[in-house]
Amino acid sequence: MSAPVLEEAPAPPAPRERWSLHRVFSSKASWVLVVLAVWIILGSILSGIHTLTLATAAQSPFTSWLTEVASAIRGNRTESVAFVYFFNPVRGGIEGFIEVIRSVIAVPGAGDVIPVIGWLGVIAIVGFVVFATSNWRTSLLCMALLFACGALGVWSDTMDTLAMTLGSVALSLAIGLPLGIWAGLSDRALAVMRPALDLAQILPTLVYLAPLALVFLIGVASATIATMVYSIPICVRLTSHAIRELRGSGALEAARSMGSTRWQMLRKVELPMAKRTIILGVNQTTLAALSFVVIAALIAAPGLGKPIVTALTIRNVGDGVVAGLAVVFLAIMLDRATTAAVVRSDTILSDEGRVRRRIALAVAAVAAVAAIILSRQVLWAAVFPPALVIGEPVGAAADAATEWFTSTFSWLTTGVAEFLTVWVLNPLESLLVNSPWWLTVVAISLIGLLIGGRVVGVVTVVLLTAIVVIGLWSDAMATFAQVLMATAFTMIVGVVLGVLAGRSAKVERALKPILDAGQTLPAFVYLVPVLALFGPTRFAAIVCGVFYAAPVVVRVVADGVRGVSSDMVESATAQGSSSWQIIRKVQLPASSKSLMLAVNQGLIFVLAVVVIGGLVGGGGLGYLVLVGQSKPELAGKGLAAGLAIVLLGVVLDRIAQSSARRRS
Amino acid sequence: MTSSPDATIAVHSLWKVFGPKADTVVGTDLAELSRADLLAQTGCVAAVRDVSFDVAPGEVFVVMGLSGSGKSTLVRCLTRLIEPTSGSVLLDGEDIAQASPKRLRELRRTKFSMVFQHFGLLPHRRVIDNIAYSLEINGVGREARHARAREVIELVGLTGYDQHYPEQLSGGMQQRVGLARALAVDPEVMFLDEPFSALDPLIRRDMQAEVMRLHRDLGKTMVFITHDLAEAMKVGDRIAIMRDGAVVQVGTAEDLVARPVDDYVADFTRDIPRSHVLTLQAIARPVRGDDDLTGPRLPGTTIVRDAARAILDSQHPVQVVSGDDVVGVVTKDEVLRLISADDPA
Repeated sequence: MSAPVLEEAPAPPAPRERWSLHRVFSSKASWVLVVLAVWIILGSILSGIHTLTLATAAQSPFTSWLTEVASAIRGNRTESVAFVYFFNPVRGGIEGFIEVIRSVIAVPGAGDVIPVIGWLGVIAIVGFVVFATSNWRTSLLCMALLFACGALGVWSDTMDTLAMTLGSVALSLAIGLPLGIWAGLSDRALAVMRPALDLAQILPTLVYLAPLALVFLIGVASATIATMVYSIPICVRLTSHAIRELRGSGALEAARSMGSTRWQMLRKVELPMAKRTIILGVNQTTLAALSFVVIAALIAAPGLGKPIVTALTIRNVGDGVVAGLAVVFLAIMLDRATTAAVVRSDTILSDEGRVRRRIALAVAAVAAVAAIILSRQVLWAAVFPPALVIGEPVGAAADAATEWFTSTFSWLTTGVAEFLTVWVLNPLESLLVNSPWWLTVVAISLIGLLIGGRVVGVVTVVLLTAIVVIGLWSDAMATFAQVLMATAFTMIVGVVLGVLAGRSAKVERALKPILDAGQTLPAFVYLVPVLALFGPTRFAAIVCGVFYAAPVVVRVVADGVRGVSSDMVESATAQGSSSWQIIRKVQLPASSKSLMLAVNQGLIFVLAVVVIGGLVGGGGLGYLVLVGQSKPELAGKGLAAGLAIVLLGVVLDRIAQSSARRRS
Repeated sequence: MTSSPDATIAVHSLWKVFGPKADTVVGTDLAELSRADLLAQTGCVAAVRDVSFDVAPGEVFVVMGLSGSGKSTLVRCLTRLIEPTSGSVLLDGEDIAQASPKRLRELRRTKFSMVFQHFGLLPHRRVIDNIAYSLEINGVGREARHARAREVIELVGLTGYDQHYPEQLSGGMQQRVGLARALAVDPEVMFLDEPFSALDPLIRRDMQAEVMRLHRDLGKTMVFITHDLAEAMKVGDRIAIMRDGAVVQVGTAEDLVARPVDDYVADFTRDIPRSHVLTLQAIARPVRGDDDLTGPRLPGTTIVRDAARAILDSQHPVQVVSGDDVVGVVTKDEVLRLISADDPA
């Protein structure tokens, strides 16, 4: 039905209970503290009893059953109907599609020395396409960034990553855009998709990989599918949002009043009006795909992820930095190209401007074609000239810089790390890991009950018990400890910076490039410098989580603080409040909903990265996932660890989200 | 109210109830409840309650009410942007409320059009393509629809702006585009939903004059929604006053001022200068034996303000006539009494 007309005043809302720091501390929070105290006391008395520890190589009944299932699936690949008629053809089709793109820009075909188009041609095509969709400045930037990837000596890996990303994005958009439009138009469609979309938002990237690799084998196909699973929900969400935010707009009503059919409305009104937000969705989808393609190196996806994984496992900082830089360049390039397209879609050209632009486009097209032909004929244009490659010195410089930094600032890299590990992480972990499992389950569920209400309490009991049944209790609690600590640090950093940015435009401008970078860069890239500085420790994993999650938290908090009405702040100022009083008594309480949302986002982001930290000595569930990947006899354990991560994520998400809901 | 057979629009017992089980309200005892009681008992809001009226061909019919009175919902029910809960809306004898989706689209494309408070222009289209939109979706070729669009662009005084985008125009000009768009299909009826409420007072006055000019030149039947009584009296042939979803009174400006049906209407019209609305008929006194009947004659439908000069200048009472009959006389006394009553301060 049509949007409610404002005049028809709805029922006066029932008076809502206002939330204040005060009230919570006087009631709920004190109970939470009581639960914590009892937990700590009992935990230290009963320490070491019923801890359910399981050695890395040992199996629980559930994990050994999963291992059998995994090997059964592996054995069935050539026989089972599902595989022969569905999974294998899907795999073949996707692999074929991606391989075509790769053969054009990345890998030489059989008997060839170079791909169809050499480096100069690729740069020219990118330059032309970006020029056509945005402007010449962005186009130059993109060409320069690609050239820099070549200069780093990782041209062919870069092209593999680019091919995989573009292929996955094309497939994701082909599925995600129509679904998103449908979800935007129909409430029922959205209701059906919502659980999947919500789940996708909290699933850490790492857990997609193993199950998909089991079904689609490791390699290009499963990497692409995993990337799609990750990026399609983002595309659907933003596209649906783009259509939905038009609801109630006068233009829609006017178009309807003129007798447009449904299809005319969509084609002539809704899609053109939603274009800007949809392109923004394409931007997010692309960046998500890139970040996943890099991580998919863990299931043998070709490209820049591979040298990063290798560098992480053998702690070769130099190589990792070189490949990481190339990923960063690629990310900036894709981000700039797509956001510039958003701006372009808004610009209005005069007739004269349009003619001039057409001429410029024609010239650019001719130049691009010339470059492509050149890149097929001449060696220097086909293969990136070794004389221009500076990858090795860059790597060496990175090594030297790391060496210098860690030796000069060892008080920071080892001192602070040690201090926090001994005084915060270890006690926390020992509480979670060494307490009897039943005590921990009861304590966490009670806290969930107090914060989130009865439903959340029950959900927490059920999911935590499920982790116990899976048999990975102790590892899950180790991961949990890291997540809690990383989230706490993330919130401290995020709230401080967020409040500053929300209060001052200057701070916000200063932070913006860092925040943008933080949201653009694939999480994997952070691991390299963090590993270099802190070594393979649990602390490194935590630092990664903080780095990855803080930008989001800062953004959400800053938005919340900025959203507090200026009337409120003004009247508080007029009554003589100090800045600190305004922050504490007006801005933070009034943006409590954003703070809760920030905690929720922070938890989910931290979890996603902390489990990847298993790769650099973080231990816990993430490590088990990786072990399961590499050792078939522990495959079930890896899968179970993935499942435990999901359960943990759902528990954290439910608690954080319900508390946000109760407070709004 | 029985509808006259030659009415362009005949609205009969129109209801719109929002809320759960909205369709169970009309025709039961619940329909008799006041708005607040209905909401308390059923959770439903009756936005439009049993509204009936006729609009004559070529008439400007104004629906006037404060915010929340249901006037915007009413006009959307007439055009079925909101589905009415019950009742009928006859346009040239055809019930819009019962039209199939296909027929409704046809009617919207050819017989009536709408102008919106916030213009509702398509931001991604130039002025000319905004105006040509309804022709476009009706399958009119590019040349033909642009030619027609240029005609109406000239009509509303937007010549030279056809290649602009809406955001490049001022609010008043955007609403001219809205008017042009509504005129493009040469509709029989135009529905204007508070078309000038979002504009500055000065621009609003220009636009009111513009609409009255268009109405004079083109003779469209108009249903005009407003919350501004002065505007209603300026543009409207007849005015319906709405309150809490129901029509309280329908009549000419003079009816509302001189013969309000209740305190609500009286309260509303209190600030309207009587001399601007009342006609000579309304203030004339019967002819007395001692009246000097040599003064000028004026028709009884003349507004007092327009006749004031002549009456004040005349040495003798002005004779008020209907046809050839003298129905009364007006002297300086009546005029001065009326004008002084307008200014209680």
